[in-house]
This record gives sequence, structure tokens and C-alpha cells, in this order.
Amino acid sequence: MALNQFPTWIRRPWPSGKAFREVKDLLNGMDLHTVCQSAHCPNQSECWSRRTATFMVLGNTCTRHCTYCAVNSGKPMAPDPDEPEKVAEAVRRLGLRHAVLTSVTRDDLPDGGAGHIAATIRAIKRLSPGTTQEVLVQDFVGDVPAIELIVAAKPEIFSHNIETVRRIFPKLRDRRFSYDLSLEVLRIARARIGRGFVKSSFMLGCGETEADIQETLHDLLVAGCDAVSMGQYLQPTPKHQDVEAFIPPEIFTRYESMARDMGFSFAVAGPFVRSSYRSEALLQSEFGRERLQTSGAEQHAD
Amino acid sequence: MRIEVNLPSLGDDDDAVTKGVVAFWLQKAGAALKAGDDLLELTTDKAAFVVPSPESGTLMEYRVSEGDEVTVGDVLCVLEVG
Repeated sequence: MALNQFPTWIRRPWPSGKAFREVKDLLNGMDLHTVCQSAHCPNQSECWSRRTATFMVLGNTCTRHCTYCAVNSGKPMAPDPDEPEKVAEAVRRLGLRHAVLTSVTRDDLPDGGAGHIAATIRAIKRLSPGTTQEVLVQDFVGDVPAIELIVAAKPEIFSHNIETVRRIFPKLRDRRFSYDLSLEVLRIARARIGRGFVKSSFMLGCGETEADIQETLHDLLVAGCDAVSMGQYLQPTPKHQDVEAFIPPEIFTRYESMARDMGFSFAVAGPFVRSSYRSEALLQSEFGRERLQTSGAEQHAD
Repeated sequence: MRIEVNLPSLGDDDDAVTKGVVAFWLQKAGAALKAGDDLLELTTDKAAFVVPSPESGTLMEYRVSEGDEVTVGDVLCVLEVG
């Protein structure tokens, strides 16, 4: 392991302290996976110290292999049928007012694991009725019934990450993903989620240009995204995709403004922004609060 | 009382980060520290991290040097506390 050089703004606290240990002990004791650990996330200290975490369901082995991702790929084990209840119990014990769920991609399951994810969303709603949720999902190979299963469980935020710009997409993503299919997934969700939110995120520092970024922001808007987030790609190990550039914080700020000016109702960008980082900010924004109130009234009328 | 300061574990998940390289010490031996003061900077493959002091006290002794690879649980330094 070599001593790496990072710019001064790529510096985070090493996770420690009482709140962090409590979250760690609770999650490890329940045999749950988090993307915080699996993706070697540099925000783990901040998020866990705030007693929040992003749950990764359907195991910690992915059937696809993307060049930037630290999550193991291979042949996954059968899903744990008790996992939806366990995640819901962890959300309850942590007292989360907003929960973020994601999963590995499961091409080995007939519904891609959509039923399991939907069951987890419903279990959280049952045990923590006031808790809002973001669910970050794979593309389900564009399978409309699978996406409908997710939307029908009524997460407040449906997320599917485009991950990178069109030009670089084939270099970074597993060949089973496609840029246009990801846009289609977002369109399918937008058409069915009513006044729920549709969000997508992508990484910068992989060799993209400003024109590439503008194109992707435009494509996401046209697909119906309300919200977008952009963050710095960081290489989890030397075997993964190289970082092409460390983007300074002020440039991220400019991209965030650009996204808002283009028409996103909510945009956030910064070196440590991740799709799940401070996910609740979307619902707490003026735009988010107004729309939640309206959608609450709609759901009540159902 | 003297206590050993360990590098805290990030979790039991089998793919959690477990090691880093000491980039540099941010405190000198003899320094009076408050809990939460940054002790040293560590780099992993992914980013740079600052490791905070778990308690207030006096930094008595480094147990790792700049350039050393350290694993969670390793003793980083000794503090005189209380």
C-alpha cells in the first residue's frame, strides 16, 4: 500500500466516537450490510455519527462488475427472507426519520430483487410510519413490472444513478448497463410515481468535460428527474478505475448552479456528495416540502 | 493513567476498510490535547483521513511512524490522561 497524495479538500475524519460505535454495533449485531462500508465511503464518520446509514439489501455480492465500484462481484447467495424485517427493525432502533435503501444488482433473480426491495420499503413504513425513504435501484434491465413493484411501495424518492456521462459510460459501467436504458428507467419511474421524486446522481473526475456534464444534466431533465447530485469519484483500490482529476470545490459549486439554472428543482454537488449523502435535504427543501404536502393529501385520498 | 490509542475499526463487514498509511503526525510528543483534536493524518486508497484523539491528555509517545502501514486495532500512540 503506497502513500497517496490527495488535494487538501479530500480529507475526512476517521470514524470514531460513541454515536459511531453505537451504529456500528447495532448494524453488525443484526448482520446487515451498508453501502457505507462496502463502498469504502469517506462520509461514514459524518453519517454514522449523525446516526444514519445507507442499507444495502440483497447481500453484498453484485452480479455486475463496474470498473469504479468497490462492491464485490460474483455469484450471490439467496436473499435472506428476514432481511426486510431486520432492516425495518434497524431503522426503528436508530430512530431514523429518513432512510436510504439500495441494493446490489441481482440479475440472478427473476424480478431482479424488486419484490424484496419493495417488501423492505413496506416493512419500514409499517414499523416507522413517519419515516420518509429514498430507494436507489439498479436498472432491472428495463423491466417495467419490476420498477412498478418499487414505485407501488411508495418510497418518497426513486433514485437510479446514471453514474457518469454518456461518452465515458461504456468504460466505467458493466456492459449490461447502458446510458439510454438508465434514462428509460428514470422515465418509467417518472410516469408512475405521481408527485414522488425522481433523482439521479453521477461521478465527476473520470475524464468528462463540461460539455459532457451539460449533456447528461439535459438528458436527466428530459427523462423527468427532479433532483440531481454530483460528487468526486475516488478510487477504492489501485485495481479500480483511475481518478482522472480532482475537481475543486468551487467548480462543483458552479456545476450545482448550472444544474439549477437548467431546471432541476433540487441539485447538490461537492467533492463528498454521494447519491445518498444527506438525502433528506431534498425533502427538507422548499420545493420538497411543498410537494410532499400535496402528495400526502393525494395518498390520503387513495 | 496511560492509555493506548488504537485505530478504530470501521465495522465488521468483510469489505470494510481495515488499513491505511500514516501520512504525518499532526501533534508533537508532549502536546496537551483535547478530546477530538486531530492526532495524525492517514491515507487509504480512497482518501485522506484525520484520526482524532479519543480523550483529553498529554501525547507521551508515538507508536507508529510516518510511512507505516497501520491496521484497525493497531496502537498509534500513548496518552497520559486524567
